[in-house]
Amino acid sequence: MTGELAADAILSVRDLQTWFVSKRATAKAVDGVTFDLKRGKTLAVVGESGSGKSVTSLSIMGLLAKPGRIEGGEILFRDRSEQVHDLARFKPKQFRSMRGSEIAMIFQEPMTSLNPLYTVGDQIGEMISLHSRIGRGEARAKALEMLKHVEIPDAARRLDDYPHQMSGGMRQRVMIAMALSCNPSLLIADEPTTALDVTIQAQILDLLQRLQAQFGMSILFITHNLGVVAEVAHDVVVMYGGRVVEQAPVNSLFAHQKHPYTKGLLACTPDATRDLGTDGERRALYSIPGSVPPITNLPPGCAFEPRCPMAIPECRAALPPLIPAGPETFSRCIRTHEL
Amino acid sequence: MTQPVDTTPLLSLRGLTKHFAGRNGQVVHAVEDVSFDIRRGTTVGLVGESGSGKTTAGRSILRLVEPSAGQAIFDGTDIFALKPREMKQWRKRLQIVFQDPYSSLNPRLRIDAIIGEALDARGYPRGAKRRERVSELLTLVGLSPDYARRFPHEFSGGQRQRVGIARALAVEPDFIVADEPVSALDVSVQAQVLNLLGELQQQLGLTMLFIAHDLSVVEYLCDEVVVMYLGRVMERGPSRQVYAQPRHPYTRALLATAPVPDPTRKRQHVPLQGDIPSPINPPSGCVFRTRCPMAIEACAQVIPPVEHIGGNHHVACIRHGELSF
Repeated sequence: MTGELAADAILSVRDLQTWFVSKRATAKAVDGVTFDLKRGKTLAVVGESGSGKSVTSLSIMGLLAKPGRIEGGEILFRDRSEQVHDLARFKPKQFRSMRGSEIAMIFQEPMTSLNPLYTVGDQIGEMISLHSRIGRGEARAKALEMLKHVEIPDAARRLDDYPHQMSGGMRQRVMIAMALSCNPSLLIADEPTTALDVTIQAQILDLLQRLQAQFGMSILFITHNLGVVAEVAHDVVVMYGGRVVEQAPVNSLFAHQKHPYTKGLLACTPDATRDLGTDGERRALYSIPGSVPPITNLPPGCAFEPRCPMAIPECRAALPPLIPAGPETFSRCIRTHEL
Repeated sequence: MTQPVDTTPLLSLRGLTKHFAGRNGQVVHAVEDVSFDIRRGTTVGLVGESGSGKTTAGRSILRLVEPSAGQAIFDGTDIFALKPREMKQWRKRLQIVFQDPYSSLNPRLRIDAIIGEALDARGYPRGAKRRERVSELLTLVGLSPDYARRFPHEFSGGQRQRVGIARALAVEPDFIVADEPVSALDVSVQAQVLNLLGELQQQLGLTMLFIAHDLSVVEYLCDEVVVMYLGRVMERGPSRQVYAQPRHPYTRALLATAPVPDPTRKRQHVPLQGDIPSPINPPSGCVFRTRCPMAIEACAQVIPPVEHIGGNHHVACIRHGELSF
């Protein structure tokens, strides 16, 4: 139980290395990720497929599948009694007391995360009784209360529904109810609205923000959607090739990007006011050439260099460090001052 | 939109209806009475959430699923009335690009064979001429002709989607249904494929039905837009008009709830309540009324007619007058 943690931080990931080692190759899925999540705030981790955002969240939860292993770094977490733990050194047994009661997680696909053979009331109740040693009746009452918190209409009746009887949006509400039933201080939400339609996505995002105001939990929000980031995040971490390339408060990130990748990502999302002329003429969208590199075969220097419009020979020489680029802002680009 | 466009529609869809047989004799009303036109050389966007019937509508037009009723007048001929054998001849003119570039390419075939299958259907001769045509198609979609002997797994998602587009273009169609062609791709790659589709459309004079759930993509790419909900058309018209002045409460809600990458423009709108109802038992009257913030008793009585409200703008809402600006 070591380490210093900033007073306003609940979670601090420092130089995290999570590798998948096999005989044939080593995939450095997470390679030196560093960020802080402030108490009661939402930190969004944005990235495309293969950026390492999900592996980062699984590392924090201790849910890595073999051969994934934390090779280095620290994951400092402050529990409710203000004690700081390094989750990177936790044994599976230690995680069991932490998961659910202190840290909870919701996933992209609520159907596969729920057991199809049990009613949602039983599943939420199981979670509650695992952590608080209360009777079945009491657990059921608490489960009902949680369903009401997540605004499931006609909650008393839905308690005895099986997951397949519910829509995708309702199932995600059940997942949120289950995650919050033991009042965790940290909620990790891994693409929680990606499988949902826009009108349902809006409902879930609103719900998460209301619950955050009510319960005060901190949220680590993993997503690939910059629109969602703008809506929910206080701070943002942008990942590429297993590394953080930019970190900034949400408003300054969208106002001025300090890394060419972030700039490119925003520029290639269609925006009618920018990409259509007044006569309706369509301008070609900005696009980032090439595709996301495989994690097993990253270039030695900056991972984004082969696709970067600002690349110079120095970018290939060595991995650029994460350098300050403004108030609370960091960029892993040696030319960030030119942006 | 830049070229002078021919105003006669290449495709006139009238009353397209598709019912699937459900369990216990129930009927799934996937598509109900959908009508719209697509003018030559233009792109029409078909938007809606899951369960809106947009994919079924797109596939019915190509008769990949057989429509239950309706007409599709394609270049003067009702292709829904054609016998299967006659339809086969017409297929060369109507092609499709699928959503998932992983499952829509046969993993056991090389790229030249995948594109070659489409050329076979057109009776293209084998040999040097065919290899030349494959090279030409790969170049057209921005891939190196050297890739012809590779397998699909050697490509990234964006490159696979380019192969899917090359296959659709192999038979020189004049009409393409693109069913969510970019939604399985990473954001940084989506723009490449959208640009390619835009360029090809201009270059080849293609007419396109672009099916999507992403409203900003449709606004950018499409001349006209058709908004579907639970199998029915809620609103349709020129994109600029529909996006600037949506006249159906559903279109309004969709536009208001789509997250925008700008934290200073936080969403003010209260999201729609509830879920999309089951197409097995759609609500009476207006199918949207169960979630509509403007619904009144009359909405349950009759199915609102699709009314023409100027320009090419149509809306199916009895209270649309109250949503004008």
